[in-house]
Amino acid sequence: MSAREFKAAETVDFVVVGTGAAGGVIARELSTAGFSVLAFEQGPRLSPADFEHDELKYFFLNGLTLDPAVSPQSFRKTASEVAKVPAGPSPALYARLVGGSSNHFTANYWRFHEVDFRERSVLGAIPGTGFADWPISYQELEPYYTKVEWEVGVSGLAHASPFDPPRSKPYPMPPMPVKSSGVLFEQGARKLGLHPFPAPLAVASQPFRGRPACVHCGFCMGFGCEARAKSSALYTMIPEAEATGNCEVRTASFVFRIATDSAGRATGVNYFDLDKREHFQKARAVVVSANGAETPRLLLNSASSRHPQGLANSSGLVGKYLMFNQGASAHAMFEHELNEYKSVQVTRLLHDFYEVDPKRGFYGGGGIDARINPQPALWAMSEGGDLPRWGAALKTRIEGFSRSMVAAGHSTSLAVATNSVSIDPKLKDAWGVPALRVTYQDHPDDLKFARWLQERQVEIMQAAGARHVWRDDVAEVETAVHLLGTARMGDDAATSVIDKYHRAHDVPNLFVCDGSSFVTSGRGQPTMTIQALAFRAADHIGQFAKRNEI
Amino acid sequence: MNPTDGDPNSRRSFLLSGGGLLTGVWIAAHWPAIAAAAQHAAAASEVPAAAGFQFFSPAEAADVAAICAQIVPSGATPGATEAHAAYFIDHALTTFFAAWAADFRPGLNDFQAKFRAANPAADAFSRASSEQQIAFLKSAEHTPFFGSMRTLTLLGMFSSPKYGGNYQTAGWRLMGFVDQHAFTPPFGHYDRQYTGFVPYTDKSA
Repeated sequence: MSAREFKAAETVDFVVVGTGAAGGVIARELSTAGFSVLAFEQGPRLSPADFEHDELKYFFLNGLTLDPAVSPQSFRKTASEVAKVPAGPSPALYARLVGGSSNHFTANYWRFHEVDFRERSVLGAIPGTGFADWPISYQELEPYYTKVEWEVGVSGLAHASPFDPPRSKPYPMPPMPVKSSGVLFEQGARKLGLHPFPAPLAVASQPFRGRPACVHCGFCMGFGCEARAKSSALYTMIPEAEATGNCEVRTASFVFRIATDSAGRATGVNYFDLDKREHFQKARAVVVSANGAETPRLLLNSASSRHPQGLANSSGLVGKYLMFNQGASAHAMFEHELNEYKSVQVTRLLHDFYEVDPKRGFYGGGGIDARINPQPALWAMSEGGDLPRWGAALKTRIEGFSRSMVAAGHSTSLAVATNSVSIDPKLKDAWGVPALRVTYQDHPDDLKFARWLQERQVEIMQAAGARHVWRDDVAEVETAVHLLGTARMGDDAATSVIDKYHRAHDVPNLFVCDGSSFVTSGRGQPTMTIQALAFRAADHIGQFAKRNEI
Repeated sequence: MNPTDGDPNSRRSFLLSGGGLLTGVWIAAHWPAIAAAAQHAAAASEVPAAAGFQFFSPAEAADVAAICAQIVPSGATPGATEAHAAYFIDHALTTFFAAWAADFRPGLNDFQAKFRAANPAADAFSRASSEQQIAFLKSAEHTPFFGSMRTLTLLGMFSSPKYGGNYQTAGWRLMGFVDQHAFTPPFGHYDRQYTGFVPYTDKSA
């Protein structure tokens, strides 16, 4: 399937570890620029026909996500506890296949706002946290946000939200058709003086760059797209990278170590193939885009005598400042049918509460969207707060499935040094590679803001005329899909892992780009920004390579 | 980070990928059984599960079915009984959720013993009155066993019929859910009359 196949002895210009949202963009951009690129993917390559409407397969049997039986992770809330492997889903949950988590994501693609990049300067320090400004501004990233919209494919309505940051171009596709949840949300929010707007989504609302428009099957969140309408890396960046003739995607290949020489430069990667045979791939430079959990694991597992704390870790910050994003749901039932199980998961959202208001007494900002119910089994199982668990009350709620929707909150997580990805001292995966350990406890302000925001969600649903509103619990996060902050970017090598061009401060030919690069969490929906960073990183990396500055 | 099976279409790949609730050792020991069970699940999707229970004894099956029927009661509309939730659970515990079996049976037996202790006049949960059942379930609703029963009952009602529950899509019909590859707008009552997005003139609009 790959247009190029490198021989075992060949030295490639770039090894890219990971083929997801970030790795896909970097492979495509560097191969388009004429460099030889070998992109490693630990999982298989699936096709549209492989993706099913099967909740049990994907949510209970790890149909797309990592399998804890062979890739266990441990979890603890604080460093004083001994981490345990949880019985439920992996703490740092991601999809393991070509295209990574961009296959099963919900595809909400709002841009970060200008304030996200300089919030520390605006608000001042927050004691006990690593709250900091980014080394880049929104203005520096804006051209790359536009590139994501036009080259990956995002539908939306420009200038619809009065809170949107400046943009250089409109969206390439109109927004998706509004659903009943969007109409009700819009009516309720406007009554309250708020500013709901059509949601930007990485879903084709019309034929786009050789892909068909969405057929409204309804299975986005947690599922792969059977129509190729979701702008997953599997359908966008990866085939375009391969079409250059300069890129090979090597599937079922698990990179477990980055090798370095006596000069401190990366020489290539060690990996296992499908049959657990070990290989070494030589490269002139290595880009790590393995996600915010596996990237720090790989760096920490690449320790050597020259890099005893792990590769690129002279700051001691590799794996630190893990951020998950908070947010809770309000479930609402209406008089008539909404049939939310059809079409994309979100069609309206609002950013009225995006910025921090010091008058509230705590840090936090967020967005609220009008959202599909989870599909049938997961929706029936929803529990917490005042949701009925069994009996006649549960059945009444179940019978209201087609009349129900969710108003979902998406909010900030503060960077706290004790929240981290580290190497479990005992646990190993099925390949004998030390497993990752997640240590995480929400900052109190993250929980306070999520609760505050949930009350706004409830108010909007009540203003929309809901017959009944239920709240989920605002709970401490123990499993997350937003994996952020664990190799943060910054100008100072003592307080960050990579520089503003994604180059490791400690290793001149090692670059890191994915959710781990984030300095703050944004307000949820990180993938748009991950891809904008990846376009920007690839632009600079390519220029460095051409100038022989790697 | 590990490779998975090279042929994603194979049943082997599907089942191997399904180890979240299983251990690798279990898969190795039971491999032929799960392959056969997967075929059975596919074949069973459109026929009543009349073959009987594989995992439960008749008395256990009766109690499990009675608990299912209290979690989602029958009535004017179908409940867990009509969706064959108990058959789904029996099937799940011998195949794709076999890893749950070791905890499930002691949990069930403990539930039965506690029920008899609390209701000396009743010989089994399944033969008690609905009022007695509900009263006892309220005392047990926060136990891990009840949590498992709830999860399995709801999966048995609302997951794909290919796993042996949701008989004749009884669960989906109760919800008003239609599994279909494509839909066209309007999707529901409220988007039918929508006249279009009205832009804001300023932030205080």
